[in-house]
Amino acid sequence: MISFDFLGIAVLLLFLGLLIGFAAFGHRWPMVLRPLRGFDELNTAIERAVEAGERVHLSLGTGSVIGSDSAPALAGLAMLSRIATATTMSDKPVVVTAGDGAMALLAQDTLRAAYERAKAGERFQPISGRMLGPTPFSYVASLPILISTEDVSVHLLAGSFGAEGALAADFGERQEAFVLAGTDDAQSQALLYVTAEHPLIGEEVFAGGAYLNVGPFHLASLRTQDMVRVLIVALILIGTILSTLGVNL
Amino acid sequence: MKVRTSLIWAVAAVIAGFFVLLGYFIDHMVIHNLRLVLIRWAVLLAAVALFLGLFNLLSVHWSKVSEQLTGWPYSAILILAFLVTLILGLVFGPDNQVSLGLFNYIQLPIEASLLALLAVSLAVAGFRLVSRRRDLFSLVFVGTALLVLLGTGPWLTGGESSFYILVGQVRNWLVQVWASGGARGIVLGVALGAVLTGLRILLAVDRPYGD
Repeated sequence: MISFDFLGIAVLLLFLGLLIGFAAFGHRWPMVLRPLRGFDELNTAIERAVEAGERVHLSLGTGSVIGSDSAPALAGLAMLSRIATATTMSDKPVVVTAGDGAMALLAQDTLRAAYERAKAGERFQPISGRMLGPTPFSYVASLPILISTEDVSVHLLAGSFGAEGALAADFGERQEAFVLAGTDDAQSQALLYVTAEHPLIGEEVFAGGAYLNVGPFHLASLRTQDMVRVLIVALILIGTILSTLGVNL
Repeated sequence: MKVRTSLIWAVAAVIAGFFVLLGYFIDHMVIHNLRLVLIRWAVLLAAVALFLGLFNLLSVHWSKVSEQLTGWPYSAILILAFLVTLILGLVFGPDNQVSLGLFNYIQLPIEASLLALLAVSLAVAGFRLVSRRRDLFSLVFVGTALLVLLGTGPWLTGGESSFYILVGQVRNWLVQVWASGGARGIVLGVALGAVLTGLRILLAVDRPYGD
């Protein structure tokens, strides 16, 4: 006996079609990205850190690779590929931390690939990708020492965080670092809005790849998101109107 | 040869991801079982990765101690605590009073203290927000937070005054209408972003496992 979820398959195909379509033909319609102060100032902050011999730190959060909360960290890894390339020639290249062993391994692989692309494979150090602590608060407790002893001046948070994310951002602020922070949890986003200098709200944490020019598929992702969002809003409005008129579907 | 190796990783990741995703949409025993096997493998690999992560943690701190880098005493304490906990856990087992004592009397209070620190950090960050980012959104944010706090907690004057009831009603209206609607919008956006991040990995456009 076999059964299909046709609606689910249709939605998946819609996502895939729009994503591939926009990636292939998107260049025909120039795209203007909404200004996001955090991403606008990130490149300058990284350049300044490289010139001053200071370090960029990227936190991938406390979520695990096999959990449902891995998506923002995977988006963070896409950003990492570009950030690592920018810091390969620095005396203090980017350091990446995670609360999960598998995520730390993925960070190491992403770093290694970025170094090899920049023809600087010999400069790659496996300890640049680290697991700081296996529980959320043991991870956060290790951050102040890392930030102060490694001369971190750019502190990026792109991953899954609970309440501990606020402390993670605050430790960077106390060090007077450039703090850009985003996560997937709505309540944690509210905490990051208060503690981080440049908070990322809503799906902005997933837009890092597009703002850092990682590739056409990242721009296509933003277009697909907007298209599907408009569709969902239209469906909600139609449903509301029909419900108000007493039409039950 | 190197290109072929990276291609093998990409193909393996795409095929595994495809079958796990297919399991959500097609209910068939073969796909269901295959999906279960793949998820179990992933759990096993994650456990091995945790072990490697701990080894990585030790090697980072060991190199700090051996090279006497800034903050090396903290690293020495971490290595000592790690080894003591590991040895006690291996000798007595995880459910023994000694292992549970380590958790209940050391780790739990420290983590609770950090959580308590969060309340203070948030209060300080709230003042910092108003003084540094003085725009409309920040003022609305802080004003709303104060109103919700006032409407949630008990008052010294008691809970029978008409002003207290009014604040409580405004608080409920803010939480149930504005905050709830906003949170749903945020969750919707996050879900769309997460789906597309997953699809990019499924299409091997993003390859966090190396190029």
